[in-house]
Amino acid sequence: MTIKLPAVAFRNIFRNLRRSILSAVAIAVSAMSIMALLALLECMETDMAKNLTSFYTGQIRIRNVDYEKYERYNPLHLSVDIASVLPVAESVDGVKAATPRINFPASLYLNEKNNGVLGVGIDFTKDAAFIDFDKLVTEGRIPNAGANEMLMGSILAHELALGVGDKVTMLTTTATRGTNAMTFKITGIASFPVGALSSTTVYVPLDRAQYLLRMEGQAQEILLLTKDGYKEADVAKDVKQALLSQLSLETETKQWKDLNTIYSFLVIAKFIYYIIGAIFFVLGSTVIINTTMMVIYERMREIGTMGALGMQGKELTKLFLLEGSFISIAGSTLGTLIGVGIVFTLSKVGLNFTEVMSGVDMEISSILYPTVNWFTALFVWIYAIIISSLSTLIPSRKASKIEIVEALRYV
Amino acid sequence: MSKKILTLLFALILLILPSTLFAITAEEIVKSMDALATYDTSYSTGSIQTTDRFGTKESTFKAWTKGTSESLIEFTSTAERGQKILRTKGSLYLYYPDAEELIRLQGAALRQSVLGSDLSYEDMTEEKTTLNDYTVTLDGSEVYNGHDCYILTLTAKTRQVAYPIQKVWVDKETYVTWKGEYSTSQGRLLKNMEVLSVMQVADRTIPKETKIDDAMKQDSSTMMTFDTLQINVSLDANLFSLENLTW
Repeated sequence: MTIKLPAVAFRNIFRNLRRSILSAVAIAVSAMSIMALLALLECMETDMAKNLTSFYTGQIRIRNVDYEKYERYNPLHLSVDIASVLPVAESVDGVKAATPRINFPASLYLNEKNNGVLGVGIDFTKDAAFIDFDKLVTEGRIPNAGANEMLMGSILAHELALGVGDKVTMLTTTATRGTNAMTFKITGIASFPVGALSSTTVYVPLDRAQYLLRMEGQAQEILLLTKDGYKEADVAKDVKQALLSQLSLETETKQWKDLNTIYSFLVIAKFIYYIIGAIFFVLGSTVIINTTMMVIYERMREIGTMGALGMQGKELTKLFLLEGSFISIAGSTLGTLIGVGIVFTLSKVGLNFTEVMSGVDMEISSILYPTVNWFTALFVWIYAIIISSLSTLIPSRKASKIEIVEALRYV
Repeated sequence: MSKKILTLLFALILLILPSTLFAITAEEIVKSMDALATYDTSYSTGSIQTTDRFGTKESTFKAWTKGTSESLIEFTSTAERGQKILRTKGSLYLYYPDAEELIRLQGAALRQSVLGSDLSYEDMTEEKTTLNDYTVTLDGSEVYNGHDCYILTLTAKTRQVAYPIQKVWVDKETYVTWKGEYSTSQGRLLKNMEVLSVMQVADRTIPKETKIDDAMKQDSSTMMTFDTLQINVSLDANLFSLENLTW
């Protein structure tokens, strides 16, 4: 029997338009949700990578080989010598920038109370390649090297009722395992993308942190950025080797992905979301499966007639599969387009997680701006069509198994 | 009654009387302990040697005391040079040369470690008024490291003290506390103290080397050594004032 199956299938969609629309909408909602979810997840992944490499670990981090082993004891004496390590690290092929830092727990003494903070000793000039402080400072200026000056996170400043020009005494444990305190003048307030940084962190010039902590010439860590086109893992290996061969210095030199377990979880989470996406589509497809089954029962006599006229079982399956596929294509296209529209809107207005993220120790910005990734859009569109169409295959196969005589008797 | 019996009775009374009339009480032992550690004024120099998993570190100090509740410690070692701890009645202040204000410690903060050692600020500067804060019982006697000692248990009357229960071994002759075990009210050991050597100052026997182990810290112990100790020295009247601390 020669019949134009696609044309018939397309025409059949309009025989019960409301039901077809309902099926398409179910797929559209699934596609739209997955599109938005994947865009958000990708945005979180990119944002976290940027925050981690800027504020926390660089793309490569060099530390004293024993530091990690004793990290919980805040072993600042297990440091790296800046004068010898920094030039060697900078000379390695693929290293774009390097900066020394000291992270130390401290407390700010105010009104006879100690307020816990995280102090960061930083070379503001060298660190410009990592953190764009000029953009982050909302009030005042960046502290000057050699001066007892401090840059404070905006939430912390608000909570402690401190502002530019105020002085505050910082108390901490030194590298000699004693204690020391110094008074700093707040010269700037900064609003960091990560809420935890704004609410807990104070930045002071590296030389003053070294003096406070009795770490003259030393850094807790040296962070590196790599040039484009270089693999971080390979550069990290080269830096480690260079330090060993030139300085006979064993170090803990690792790329950032090996240092951040939460980021690794996020990458795993992305794959889990793909699976969740598939489940979403299958759930959305139950509507189209149901519709196809109803159509088959409704058109039993018609199926019998077509069979009596010589239509093969495979052709019957193909006819219903095509019908389902057309609805899937329509639903997927609509859902993906709406998803793209939502993501595009969010890329302009942003998604504010400030309230949700408060108190959460995760290196993700409080406000996220998901961007439209056309590859993701294409992936979601095809993914939705394939799963929805395959779902219609189950009831469509039933059509081929119907006995013609039985079908013709069907009322 | 015959004369013989009367003589025997008298002799017996004479034998029993000293042990009942002249037996020392637990409170008297504690008063003698506190008196031994309290001076009208004193000036000392010494060191705190802390050994932990990262090695041994030594900090040196000069200290002045007046009566039971006033003391001033100034650190002289390079890493802490110029840092001071002032204890006045009821308050403890820290002075750091690069800080523009004094840091007042109170409550739980007094139990923080001094320079990472096993000693707390309270241990270093505690008031010698034990009977105000503790009730004391005499548990018996024991020879400890060749010294005949009383064994006392001190139980805190208030919750304001660092060690709710103290078990101490006090020398019967010199009243030096050779050993101390400091615990929570549930009996969990917090600190161990042991005097390793003593020195004679005027007519007193004073601990020279004392070893302290914080049971809460692993692989850590602290040796506090007095190199010199002068008592009843003349001190500036303003020495224990906040003004003098920042000077």
